[in-house]
Formats: sequence, C-alpha cells, structure tokens
Amino acid sequence: MTCKEFIELLAEYLEMTVSPETLAMLEEHLAGCAPCQAYLRTYRRTRDVAAASERTTLPSDMPAEMKAHLRAFLLAQVLKEES
Amino acid sequence: MSEDAELLSRLRSGDASAIELLMASYAARVYRLVYGVTRNEADAQEVVQDVFLTVFRKHAAFEGRSALSSWIYRIAMNAALNKRRGKRVEVETSFDADLPTYLADGHRAGERAYLLADWSQTPEAAVLSGESRTVITTAIESLPDHYRAVLILRDVEGLSNEEVATAIGDTIASVKSRLHRARMVVRERLTRHFYVNA
Repeated sequence: MTCKEFIELLAEYLEMTVSPETLAMLEEHLAGCAPCQAYLRTYRRTRDVAAASERTTLPSDMPAEMKAHLRAFLLAQVLKEES
Repeated sequence: MSEDAELLSRLRSGDASAIELLMASYAARVYRLVYGVTRNEADAQEVVQDVFLTVFRKHAAFEGRSALSSWIYRIAMNAALNKRRGKRVEVETSFDADLPTYLADGHRAGERAYLLADWSQTPEAAVLSGESRTVITTAIESLPDHYRAVLILRDVEGLSNEEVATAIGDTIASVKSRLHRARMVVRERLTRHFYVNA
C-alpha cells in the first residue's frame, strides 16, 4: 500500500468501515510510514478541533428579535392563507 | 405522542399553534445549520423564514418515510445552498493546493520535515485561540458550500453519512468524499500554520 492509498482510505479507517483485509494493509503501511502516522494524528485532531471551533462559532440560537419577527411573519402568512 | 408527531398533527389540522411548536423544536437548530452554510445573519434569517413557510405549505408532501427532522433539514440545506448559489459571483477557488501531493510511486511528495510535522499534541485551548483559531474558521469559510455543509452536518451536528446524504440530496459516496477533502483542507492549513510558527 502507498501513502496515497492510505490517505484516500483514512476517513473510512477512522470509522472502521474497511474490510479486515484492507484494515490489515492499512495498519501494515502505517507501522512503517512516519509521514502517514503524522498525517493520521493531525487529521484526527483536525476533525475534533474544527468541530469544536464551529460549535462555538455558530450561534446556539436564533436572536430573540429575529425569532419574534419570524413568529409574526408565519402567523400573518397562516392567517392570510386561512382567509 | 412525540414532539414531531404532535407538530405534524397540528400542521395537518391547520392549527396556528403549530407555529409555536415548530419554533420551539426547530428554530435554533435550523438557524444554526443555515448560518453555518451562509455565514451571514441576514441571509440566514431570510432562509429560515422560507424554510418554515415551506414546512407550513408543504407538510402534506411529507410522507413520513424518514424522520420529520430529516425532511426539515433537507428543506433547510436546499434553501441555504440555493441562497449561496444565487449570491456567489466569484469563481469557486480550487483547493488542490491544500490537498496532499504524491510522487509517481504513490508516496507523499514534499520536504520530509514538513511531512513529519505533528501538532496533534498541542493543547486544545492553544489550537482554539489566537491565529490558529482564525486559520480554522478561515479554512472552513473558504470551502465550497457543499463541502462546508457536509462538514457541519457530519462533524459538528453529528449526523450519520446517510442522514447527511438525505439532508443535502446527495449520494453517500459523495458525502464521504467531500467530508474527507474538507477535513484535509483544514488539516493542511493548520499544519502549515504550526510548521511555519514552530
């Protein structure tokens, strides 16, 4: 197995959705390849820190004023369509 | 009766109180997801308004073969991606420079010290502050919209590959490929940042 093949299968390797044969080949390559060991560790960490960063970047809720506006808009639409 | 079943029942009976239930159950989730794609408060507000109106008008089209949340996510992601498509005027930048390169024999190309660069033990507080935090958010914002949508749904919201495929109307294979490439782009930018600043 080459580094290219290893990296292409990295996400599936982390999800453990590869076949036992492929898993054995991935682990054999990994054991002898320091750049792929570094790639695996930094890729896995990226997945975690990117998610953590987005969880605090993205708003946890809609601003109250926006919510009030949306509620009024929907109510007006529903009443309009009913009449 | 579950909250979604209650919501559906109120929608079907044309009950205006469905608005409150829809808001309570989905306003925060849908707004966060839509904001994640549009990265803009005004656009996110407009999209959420359209999404909820669609839920009211088209609830009869919901066949119940998937969860109500999946159906609403799909409407939301479709609307958010369409909004971005309508606004985007610049040509989508290629991110090939942020993907690994290989020699003819399939091994990684590049300076060995860079290939061995490993910042994975850096404490989370350090990665998530200062310049490296900016590197992460800039990298995510620079991703093509569909890639960013997949990254948010899968890694941030924790949906399965199948659920993400349903939400964005794509194949599971495409979801996996986009997710992998999105992570590789962010990884490359972070690795470059830590390597240069080591």
